[in-house]
Amino acid sequence: MAVQFDGGVVVGADSRTTTGSYIANRVTDKLTQIHDTIFCCRSGSAADTQALADIVQYHMQLYAVQHDEQPPVKVAASLFQELCYSNKDALMAGIIVAGVDPVYGPSVYNIPLGGSLHREEFAIGGSGSAYIYGYCDDYFKPNMNRSECVDFVKNAVSLAMLRDGSSGGVIRLAVITPDSVERIFVPGNELPKHYEG
Amino acid sequence: MDKNILKEIVGEHEGGFSFANAKRNEYLTQNGGVMPNATKTGTTIVGLIYKDGVVLGADTRATAGTIVADKNCAKIHYITPNIYCCGAGTAADTEFTTNIVSSQLALHSMNSGRQAHVSTAMTLLKQYLFRYQGHVSAALVLGGVDINGPHLYTVYPHGSTDKLPFVTMGSGSLAAMAIFESRFKPNMERDEAVELVKDAIESGIFNDLGSGSNVDVCVITKDKVDYLRNYAKPNERVPKLKSYKFARGTTAIISETVRKFNSVKDEDAMEVV
Amino acid sequence: MTSVGTGYDLSVSTYSPDGRLFQVEYAGKAVDNSGTTIGIRTKDGVVLAVEKIIPTKLEVPGSNKRIFSIDKHIGFASSGWMPDVKGLVARAREEAWEYQKLYKVPTPSKILAERIGMYIQAYTLYSSVRPFGAMPIMASVDKDGPQLYMFETSGAYYGYRGCATGKAKQLARTELEKLDIDSLSIRDAIKEAARIIYTVHDDSKDKLFELELAWVSQESGNVFSKVPQDIFDEAVQYAKRANDDDSDDDDDL
Repeated sequence: MAVQFDGGVVVGADSRTTTGSYIANRVTDKLTQIHDTIFCCRSGSAADTQALADIVQYHMQLYAVQHDEQPPVKVAASLFQELCYSNKDALMAGIIVAGVDPVYGPSVYNIPLGGSLHREEFAIGGSGSAYIYGYCDDYFKPNMNRSECVDFVKNAVSLAMLRDGSSGGVIRLAVITPDSVERIFVPGNELPKHYEG
Repeated sequence: MDKNILKEIVGEHEGGFSFANAKRNEYLTQNGGVMPNATKTGTTIVGLIYKDGVVLGADTRATAGTIVADKNCAKIHYITPNIYCCGAGTAADTEFTTNIVSSQLALHSMNSGRQAHVSTAMTLLKQYLFRYQGHVSAALVLGGVDINGPHLYTVYPHGSTDKLPFVTMGSGSLAAMAIFESRFKPNMERDEAVELVKDAIESGIFNDLGSGSNVDVCVITKDKVDYLRNYAKPNERVPKLKSYKFARGTTAIISETVRKFNSVKDEDAMEVV
Repeated sequence: MTSVGTGYDLSVSTYSPDGRLFQVEYAGKAVDNSGTTIGIRTKDGVVLAVEKIIPTKLEVPGSNKRIFSIDKHIGFASSGWMPDVKGLVARAREEAWEYQKLYKVPTPSKILAERIGMYIQAYTLYSSVRPFGAMPIMASVDKDGPQLYMFETSGAYYGYRGCATGKAKQLARTELEKLDIDSLSIRDAIKEAARIIYTVHDDSKDKLFELELAWVSQESGNVFSKVPQDIFDEAVQYAKRANDDDSDDDDDL
């Protein structure tokens, strides 16, 4: 998931990769850096989303060199959309693009399965997201400060991890502000506490 | 075959392909039938990062269906002098995939005058496999040491990759992972690391039907590679306790005939007029 | 023309011994045959003005325009061969559209300028093609503010505060240099642009001409468009008055 706050964006994800019922990687990093201050959250097929992220990463490097400036998040999202839509029959990819740029500021874009593009104040995706729509709609508020936002993401992701069998492991976060990126790691034994029955 | 009988079987058409089965198969799948799957070769391959580099391991059984096709094959493939790659899946695919990437990297190294990066090998492999959308059945464990230190990746047939300190793949991966999960620790000494890899592979050899025979190990450090072919042979054939030769006369002689042959002399060929 | 008869001007893919490309220079001469085009970039917008020469009074007034919009925020005005101008306009529109389609943000003029520059340059490389007989002036307002570029027949392009091409480019440039462009408002710039076109128009050579004026500024909503009729009329009045004053000084009519 990704959430906009007053000075930037927070992106967060669990760390589980599965092949059938086997956990192929329990500490996956599903947050992929596309440019200095642009990240994407990958869900769906690992192979498809990694290939997409690599292609967009290349385009963003090219953009930065040709334009001699930071690429807007909108441009990254637009490239993802073009690839997701024009290859929709061959792909299984749900992608959230989030970041900060000098022109448009903090922004979050959601590109679900069919390849549509939506700008949102916060976005959730992946198998676990179904379990936390209610929580997010209730607890999200616009213009949170940084720590409020980090707590919101941590809580939402850990709730999804508890209820969704395909999600779990640790929480990985990235706090993106105009001139820095801070990576946060929450081990599986330090997740926020929720009702456990 | 009688023309009329043939007609009864294939209809009016006398040549070309018959797609009757395609329709039948479609009908069967629609009604809950399950098509037989292509059998995957069983394998156990592993890798881990230790203090000075990477240790790769593999079993040596190659199967064709339920038959053991090769009891001592080599599944750790050479990529570059500093990078090796274990392969599981279809033997031909792992062999060709690693060979193609190996040759691309050899040219790349000559062009750039630099040693290949493990990440470059990983990228070439994943892009190649992604292009074939999983039809090239190569599940790989890629390990090596480059300018940035030791690196270990798994590469799946569809082209996804993971970067981890210890990995297992193939049908024996669950058995091997059980060993790693319980005994792996960061910054191990060489002997400890090799022993752990050997035990993980043996776990696959003994508990997974698709894996078997011997243990191959490859230790890659900054400036040296030790390819330990048949590092362990836990399934050596022991001398038989008894002799199973049949004693002379076991087979009764029912009758005996002796024939004399005429000897033929070597002479000039007969002339044809 | 020292180049004539030497053989070095027959192909655009051959340099002369002193390192010139005569065909490219000749293309520049083709531009000099057509009416004057100027552009002024102020801090709040850009104005383009064209002296469109009318060869016959049978021509429908307002037809064969020399100012084109490329994208919402980008416009072209050009002296030179009309078919070549249109070729470049079509290419520029295509480039702008492709960019917008891929990135979904307005095309920055420096990127469009680079691509058009490279396109023109490609026509100076092969013996099978002829360089463009056009020198377009491009105006836009993008996220970096108002922009004005002019392309040469070689494919070289520069950013300007004021620029001119066509028949009376020298005279027009002298007039532009007299202006204090930095302190000019866009409204004043429109008037001055009109005045310069009226000033440099040579009645003795070309009797009829039409003034074309287009702008892109905050006032036009950052949209490249024709200057509204009232502002246009005001500018023409100003231009005529200024020129009448000038000629009064010279001789009494």
